[in-house]
Amino acid sequence: MKAWQRNGILLAALLAFGATRLPLEKSLGDELRKDGLVPPPLEIGTRDKIGQTSSAVALGGLRTLVATFLNLRAFSFFQEQRWEDVADTFEMIVDLAPRTRYYWETGSWHSAYNAASYYINNSSMPSLRRKEAWRAAIYRGRAFLERGIRNNPGDWSLLSTLGFMLTDANKFPAFRDPDATFITAADTYQKAVDTGNAPAFVNRAQFYALARAKGRETEALALARALYADPKNRLPTLQALLLVLEAHENPALDTAKLAVELFGTPERALEALSGHWQRTRERFPVDGVASALGALEQTLAVPPEKSILNKPLQVPSGPDQWFSK
Amino acid sequence: MSSITEPIARGSHFNRILVIAGHAFTQLVRMKVFYFLAVFAVIAIASNFFDLPQHEGPESIGMNVLRSIKSWSLGTMTLFSVVLSIVATALLLPKDVEDRTLYTILAKPVPRFDYLAGKLLGVLILVFVSLAMMDVLMTVVLQIRSSMILTQQIAMAQAQGWPQDAIESLRAETAQHGPNWALQGAVFAVFLRASIMASLALLISTFSTSTLFTTIVSFLIYFIGHFQADARDAYLQAGQAGEGVFARMAALVFSLVLPDFQNFNVIDAVIEGQAMPLMVLVKLSLIGLYYALFFTIASWFVFAEKEF
Repeated sequence: MKAWQRNGILLAALLAFGATRLPLEKSLGDELRKDGLVPPPLEIGTRDKIGQTSSAVALGGLRTLVATFLNLRAFSFFQEQRWEDVADTFEMIVDLAPRTRYYWETGSWHSAYNAASYYINNSSMPSLRRKEAWRAAIYRGRAFLERGIRNNPGDWSLLSTLGFMLTDANKFPAFRDPDATFITAADTYQKAVDTGNAPAFVNRAQFYALARAKGRETEALALARALYADPKNRLPTLQALLLVLEAHENPALDTAKLAVELFGTPERALEALSGHWQRTRERFPVDGVASALGALEQTLAVPPEKSILNKPLQVPSGPDQWFSK
Repeated sequence: MSSITEPIARGSHFNRILVIAGHAFTQLVRMKVFYFLAVFAVIAIASNFFDLPQHEGPESIGMNVLRSIKSWSLGTMTLFSVVLSIVATALLLPKDVEDRTLYTILAKPVPRFDYLAGKLLGVLILVFVSLAMMDVLMTVVLQIRSSMILTQQIAMAQAQGWPQDAIESLRAETAQHGPNWALQGAVFAVFLRASIMASLALLISTFSTSTLFTTIVSFLIYFIGHFQADARDAYLQAGQAGEGVFARMAALVFSLVLPDFQNFNVIDAVIEGQAMPLMVLVKLSLIGLYYALFFTIASWFVFAEKEF
């Protein structure tokens, strides 16, 4: 056989072999992509940003390894407080490993917590610019986490992390409408509960968010009663909020009596409700708490100078205080 | 030399292939490739120390370390297996020519297919043994570390008053990141990809004139193989974006000639803690076998009439 004949046969066999495997590989590829077992193709922008060597390594089937390297690089940027670089690096990392919860949570945490705190304390910038940078960092952290949730819709932890961020007393003042923020947080926690994998505290966290949203008191009360039915949920915050919501529903309620029923003894009721009364930063409602405290103090013969109602309340600190000078 | 060639000349095809494979394996082991395992051990242990601080509850404590161990270990296995399969295969034929072993073997009644299949099998055994040893090391490190992390997680969850069902769910979630069958499947997928590369390098080496050429071309094909699916999709979806006939034909030829390695990226999903269904592994194995068989037969087709 002549060389050109042999090469021709080989080429034809190669093409025929390709034609037989092409539909098999296509079908397997579609199946893997549908099941989220193969990540989407790497964006051209990411290939450019990570550099030629890393790009070649990533395209050589080592995407998660490059993501690990970049995570180390992001940590160095974090130590140097180079927030833009931290954010850019995490954008690349999640392109490489979009199914890793850790990267979404850590990227969001760096922006919404570390960068935001940095701008609160950075005295080298004018207050207005610091405030805007603080707000932008929180918005970016939230947007990053929301993108992570869209990529991993069944992940309870990402949903719970977003709910936590939206109800954090240091974060929700960044959003224009606190009630809308609490409702979004409650909905997010509900989605986490709906995954069926979330621990019980997520359900309670959903209630704590809903209890703070004005106009949703009836819904919150129903949830509080349902949670209270399980003795494992009988924690001071939940018990105090149940009392508040019952008082909101029925303003004529004897809140002191209910408090003793909920907490067991007047002493425990006074301690728990005093704590609730002073938690001003979290914006928990306090309907009926003052009257309950007054009645309990009277029962326990607490002198007026020691009354919790006569102690100054903590001024809720927020952007107005942080960026006043 | 006769001690090597005598048993080759006798017996069935299978026996001959096994003898040649055993010889190729010994030949490669003498090149001290297993020294790499020491490097791997250092990498597997060092990957334990990338425990970066993070915002975490019991559910995520230490999870980054487990991912780091898997990512470093499987990444190193991929690099090692691909480099070894390409370089070892590229070396085999030229080395046998240089040592004149090839002439002695082919002078006996040894079918050329048996010779090629034996050489390829020798390389694959070497890659398999190396990966198995690395796998054992990775599994041990991962087992120790995941037990430590699980103890920490459970202590923290109990301190936070998590109910038992939530703790069990946490235990199951952590087990997904520890040593499990999906991880063993991922290691096998690494072996399958290396097997395809070894058989492809064998085909190239049958008509190549130098080891360097075989190595470079094989590596290029390896990298391009990770884009092959893009070309295939470009061909199948052609017309939607207004591509010309030439572009469509180029995409078709590209997808027919080059192997598709993108499906093997399922390894990344396992590193990220997902389970690999057994059926996926079976399909990948069949595809890998299909490639290896075709490339070996094609290598024989070229090698059969080659003059030395």
